[in-house]
Amino acid sequence: MTSQAAAQKRSHIFRAAFLILIAGYFALPLLAMARFAFQNVPMALLTPEKLLTGWSAAGLQTALTDPQIISATWTSIQIVVLSIILNLVILVPLAIVTEVRNPALRPIITALTLLPWVIPPIALVVGVAATFRIAAPWFLASNLSLVPFYALWAMPFTYRLLDAGLRAINARTLYEAARGMGASFPAVMLRVILPNMRSSMIASAALTTALVLGEFAFASLLLKSTLPTEMVTFERSDPRGGLALALFVMVFTAVILGLVVRAMRRRGLTFHASGV
Amino acid sequence: MGAFLRGNRLGLIVAVPFSAFIGLFLIYPSLVVLFKALTPGGAFGLSAMTRALSGTYRSGFINSAWLSLASAVIGGAIGLALALAVKGMTRPRWLHTILDSWSAVASQLGGVPLAFAFIATIGTQGLLTKLLMQLGVDPANFGLSISGFWGLVFVYLYFQIPLMFLVMTPAVHGLRETWREAALILGASPLQYWRSVGLPLLLPATLGGILLLFVNAFTAYSTAAVLNASLNIVPLQIRFLLQGNVITGEEDLANAIVTWVIILLLLTLLLVTLLQRRALRWTRS
Repeated sequence: MTSQAAAQKRSHIFRAAFLILIAGYFALPLLAMARFAFQNVPMALLTPEKLLTGWSAAGLQTALTDPQIISATWTSIQIVVLSIILNLVILVPLAIVTEVRNPALRPIITALTLLPWVIPPIALVVGVAATFRIAAPWFLASNLSLVPFYALWAMPFTYRLLDAGLRAINARTLYEAARGMGASFPAVMLRVILPNMRSSMIASAALTTALVLGEFAFASLLLKSTLPTEMVTFERSDPRGGLALALFVMVFTAVILGLVVRAMRRRGLTFHASGV
Repeated sequence: MGAFLRGNRLGLIVAVPFSAFIGLFLIYPSLVVLFKALTPGGAFGLSAMTRALSGTYRSGFINSAWLSLASAVIGGAIGLALALAVKGMTRPRWLHTILDSWSAVASQLGGVPLAFAFIATIGTQGLLTKLLMQLGVDPANFGLSISGFWGLVFVYLYFQIPLMFLVMTPAVHGLRETWREAALILGASPLQYWRSVGLPLLLPATLGGILLLFVNAFTAYSTAAVLNASLNIVPLQIRFLLQGNVITGEEDLANAIVTWVIILLLLTLLLVTLLQRRALRWTRS
């Protein structure tokens, strides 16, 4: 028995060491970034006694008051909201009808919703340049033309989340029970199915937000002005401010996501962000 | 019959916008790319497709494949270990909240901020570089640089590990505690349990996850672009061709490269689907 206890203790120590190592790997770049962004001392001149000097948030302030950054942020927020809406408007009815009325079609629909995953931004941008840029330049003129494409790339994980959510609540049984007891079709949807899909929708909205705020390839190659592309431009002229802004966006998004996850946990819902 | 028709009408109402959406924004541009790749200079021919796999473009595919493989296998192993390590950990209470939200941000938002963060860490003036220099180790002496192969692998792990963690968490939770207990009661050592029960059960999901990571790295553009990677990889070649498409014939080349990428990803997706079907057999019931 004692050898077993010793083995367990060993494995616990091993696990703790592994977790500390991982935490270090994830924390170090953020710390380095924060130091560069907020401490006005070049790395070459940094000595232990200078560790506490020169800290200021001036870089972040410059970045957050830059008119280009402000307008790009506003654009990105609009793209986030519109992509979430477009994605859900198309996929929620599709997922519900597939699950409760045509379950036989589910494998085909699942495969179709995975297609955007096969044609990622760096690939589709070539196709869009060869089609829309020539046939409909007016469409690509607006920054908001990114919306349908971003909704597309949010589709694989959104559909998975919705489908998993519907199966978890036994949507088909609920639907049949409600219909059997005389509820009209819209009533079943609005009062039974949709309220139960909230957690899937919130999780997908959160992931879509992260996706849109991070997408760079497509926007940059189509010369669109979004937060990530403007961030890169800004960093070239003001590295300190650029890094401060990048750190701010990352941490801010993580905190918002953390609050969403925690709120969902409190209600006994799980947040499975799994994209596959 | 009436119910059937009504069901169909409903199906149509939801299927039409979906198909129109995918068709217009995804299928149509992709088919145009395929068509152009197969008709270089206006006539049917495979010259663009073969050129896309020769010379510098061939080495681009090879570099991308190695980079994706290395970061997928290492990231996959660490991500799986992380999912296993925190399974059943209930303290500290904020652990899973932090892990979930940070994983989503690091794996999805990544890109540009990550490149910045790693310049500040392992760039020539980076914090870690400086620390190592203080210890008398110059990473440059080992041929390690942030924009080279292992530098990129090191950076890519920052989004690969969290992605694997997110992908594997449901599968890891599918491992019942009762199975482990049963094995141990029957006299198996923990090692034996893992070798003949745990790992075989996790194998399909793990392989699927690693393939997903492979694709993720293969198509990752922003980090390498912002880092100004010196490694010749496919996404950077696509950028080069797309920006320099004034040269005649280059556009067909971009189309051909993209066609190969899509073929590769389609095959991978097929493999992932097959693996997942196998994985589902165990996690269902």
